[in-house]
Amino acid sequence: MSFLTPLFLLGFLAVGLPVLFHLIRRTTRERKTFSSLMFLLPSPPRLTQRSRIEHLLLLLLRCLAICCLAFGFARPFLKEAMAPPADSNGKRILLLVDASASMRRANLWPDALAKVDSILRKTTPGDQVALFTFDRQLNPLFGFDQWTGAPVGERAALLARKLAETSPGWGSTQLGNALIQAAEMLAEAGGKTPSQRGRVELITDLQEGSHLEQLQGYEWPKGIEVAIDVLKPRAASNASLQLVSDSDDSDTKSAATVRVRVTNTAGAKREQFKIGWARSDKSGFVGKPIEVYVPAGQSRILALPADPAESLDRILLQGDEEEFDNVIFAIPPATLRLNVIYVGADSETDPKRPLYFLKRAFQETRHQVVGVTAHHSGELLPAPEVQASSLFVLTAALSPESTGAMRDQATAGKTVLVAVSAIDMQQTLRGLLQTDNLKLDEVRPSNYAMLGDLDFRHPIFASFADPRFSDFTKIHFWKYYRLDPTALTGARVLAHFDSGDPALIEIPTGKGRILVLTSGWQPECSQLALSSKFVPMMYSILESSGVPAPLPVQYKVGDVVPLAAFAKSEQLAMTMQFPDGSQCPLGRDETNFTRTDIPGIYALSTPSRQFVVNLDPSESRTAPLPVDELERLGVPVLQKPTDAPLQDAERKRRFQNVELENRQKLWRWFIAGTLVVLLFETWLAGRTARRALEPVSMSAG
Amino acid sequence: MNIRNLELRARVVVEGFWNGIHRSPYHGFSAEFTEYRQYTPDDDPRYLDWKVFARSDRFFVKKFEDETNLRCYLLSDHSRSMDYGSLGYTKAAYASTLAATLAYFLYLQGDAIGLLTFDEQIREYLPARHRTGHLRHLMLALEKPAAGQATDVGAPLKRIVEIVRKRGLIVLISDFLAPLDRLEQNLSALAACGHEVLVVQVLDPAELSFDFKDAAMFQDVESGRVLFIDPRSARREYLRKLEEHREGLRATCQKLGISWQGLATNRPLELALFDFLRERMQQRSKSQRFARPRHMTGKATA
Repeated sequence: MSFLTPLFLLGFLAVGLPVLFHLIRRTTRERKTFSSLMFLLPSPPRLTQRSRIEHLLLLLLRCLAICCLAFGFARPFLKEAMAPPADSNGKRILLLVDASASMRRANLWPDALAKVDSILRKTTPGDQVALFTFDRQLNPLFGFDQWTGAPVGERAALLARKLAETSPGWGSTQLGNALIQAAEMLAEAGGKTPSQRGRVELITDLQEGSHLEQLQGYEWPKGIEVAIDVLKPRAASNASLQLVSDSDDSDTKSAATVRVRVTNTAGAKREQFKIGWARSDKSGFVGKPIEVYVPAGQSRILALPADPAESLDRILLQGDEEEFDNVIFAIPPATLRLNVIYVGADSETDPKRPLYFLKRAFQETRHQVVGVTAHHSGELLPAPEVQASSLFVLTAALSPESTGAMRDQATAGKTVLVAVSAIDMQQTLRGLLQTDNLKLDEVRPSNYAMLGDLDFRHPIFASFADPRFSDFTKIHFWKYYRLDPTALTGARVLAHFDSGDPALIEIPTGKGRILVLTSGWQPECSQLALSSKFVPMMYSILESSGVPAPLPVQYKVGDVVPLAAFAKSEQLAMTMQFPDGSQCPLGRDETNFTRTDIPGIYALSTPSRQFVVNLDPSESRTAPLPVDELERLGVPVLQKPTDAPLQDAERKRRFQNVELENRQKLWRWFIAGTLVVLLFETWLAGRTARRALEPVSMSAG
Repeated sequence: MNIRNLELRARVVVEGFWNGIHRSPYHGFSAEFTEYRQYTPDDDPRYLDWKVFARSDRFFVKKFEDETNLRCYLLSDHSRSMDYGSLGYTKAAYASTLAATLAYFLYLQGDAIGLLTFDEQIREYLPARHRTGHLRHLMLALEKPAAGQATDVGAPLKRIVEIVRKRGLIVLISDFLAPLDRLEQNLSALAACGHEVLVVQVLDPAELSFDFKDAAMFQDVESGRVLFIDPRSARREYLRKLEEHREGLRATCQKLGISWQGLATNRPLELALFDFLRERMQQRSKSQRFARPRHMTGKATA
């Protein structure tokens, strides 16, 4: 039995009053007349010394009346009769725990575990709970089916154990994605009735770097609410490092440096940091670190000189409060060395000849070095050089042997660019293209010729497809050689002159191809070499000739690394070495490497290549994001102030008690019982008093 | 006190008293010669002693005792406080018997007896006389029950001072259970008039000892006020206050040269009468002012 107003039970103490009154000597009935009371003072009433209680039944009745009255006022009700009809079906709760890198901060993960525990304690046997963690993607740990399949008493423990076995990773916080997936999961599992869909309990640090952009435009399913438990970090300030990539035209002559951006969070108390190269054994800085002052909320970029003699691969930041993002990994990108073989009859120092311009078109950058090797048309090309080259440029007629060798290279998969600059190249073209119908006619337009019709879908011109760059009319051609492309099998005209004659023809040859430019780029033939289109066009030709593009070596945690960029599929099986030293063989059919779960240096064997995986810079933006941001994006956030759940629960329980008591109204019975007892007591007291008075009246008479 | 008739009761007491002292009151007469005085003009010529004139040829006036031997006023308290008694009779009955006894005793001597009963005011007043039937009237007045709500001794005393011009004997019988604020003033006025005053305080033995056992609601018979009294705790204080009250009364009387006699109702009336006479004798010996009842003392002691 419970009581709505249990304080009234203190009325039981009043039971002592009848006992006290019984023990006080009753003398009022005995009267004595006296001559004068002028010498007398009233005596105070005092307890009788008799320990025996007279009229025990009367005393018990009075005590019983007081007890009944106290019971009635305490408003009793029977709790076992209460049945919670609303909660009988239970709720579906999807626990969504942030396991991103920012949760590695000092107290956040234990706090998250405690939050989950507190939520689990509040669940009823009818509830269904599932546990998911998320960083870049949603990871199911304990599904609804596992919950329902487990014994009732062990569900919470199993779920908590699952969560205790995991720990925050290094991934970025894709909160928007996680929320959408969780909501869809609940919406699918919950059926059509919105009220049965359930609730997402989001436990996160809700940092600024949480990616919410996916929520924009997403229509949140009805009936699913999100209760957010925002975890508060002990330290609010954090500084982070981020690699800043070099531009391709960086000066190769200057000392090698690595540029890093140091960002300090707004409101940070510390603003002085040390940055320098560090060893992998965490023994501190190598050499003297750079001291940098970064005010709160700002960032600085500084260049760290890289010493090629030292094999340093990580940069350390010291001086902030959070350690999880204080190391970034950096390795110098591998320089791609390419070779182009030029076969002509000119000198590279002659500014009127094509080689002069070709040499200057391919500039050396930090990522790519293109070497142009010039050979005379009568020279025999060295085999290793031919093997290493993927582009051959012809500007002069070749001997029939050399022509055959050149065609073999094209057939083997390489690209041969023939710039027709003289009529005597007709024989060479016939040999290369293995056709006898080819005929060159020199055309000298009265004024000049222009490129009129270009195929921008072709990789060579694709980079010019933008209307800003697609104007080739400023390039004037003084002379070109007309040939009939229909005589060439599979030939594709990539560019026409305004006269309709082909300017650039691609003829597939075996695995490779032959490109025929019907004019030269030297000033004698055209303005092509002097135009801004020449260099990109030559690079496009080089890249489209099968040259591997410069490999990116910087990835973020969770990025997909395309293996095709490292090796051809037909090569031998590769092995990936992880930053922690473990190795994993990669299958031949694997085209992408996805297990970039931890930051560090990944090494790929055969071919021996390295790339680094760093923390997503957005994870370092640890300033708290207001919950309103989620509401603005349409997420129905259930506000959970610190004490509100307890107060709500208490209010609800009180309300239920009031309802129950109103239904039962047991107090009426107690009040009725009190009246009955009092009536009986009155009768009994009257009877006792009459009996007591009888001898008195007799004596008086 | 078992004799219901007050007159008979008084007669029994007085006759027993006389028997005890072996003297008969049935002798003599109080109209006796006291002195000769030379005649002065305006003297009543009836009182000239012609025999002396005949012998000495001088006029002498013959002075006699007053016509009446004694004028005695009995002042009896008839308030309700006198209606209390723990011995089967009340203080009022005892006081009435005492007054009747004195009246009868004096009547037998031929003295004039007057009566004044009072409570908070004067109830009955009989002037002092000595005639046939007067005693009976007096007995009837004494037999009236006590009905007063309070005791005011001052009022009858004041009234006596006004009424009684001639000196006489004033016997004041009361329990004096009232404040004594103005008692001294009234008694002193009475004494100043030359009256011989005798104060008799009548109290019940229960009042004197307060030996009740159980606590009870005690009701004041005069005012009806009810108090819860536990005698065991209240006795000491009661006795102290009562003694203070009596002492105050006695001191007042002593101060004014008035006889005070305290009587408990369990004391036999004969002894009370004896005490009365003894007190009077002592009083007479102390003060020569009151030499008048010569006949009484002379006969009583004779």
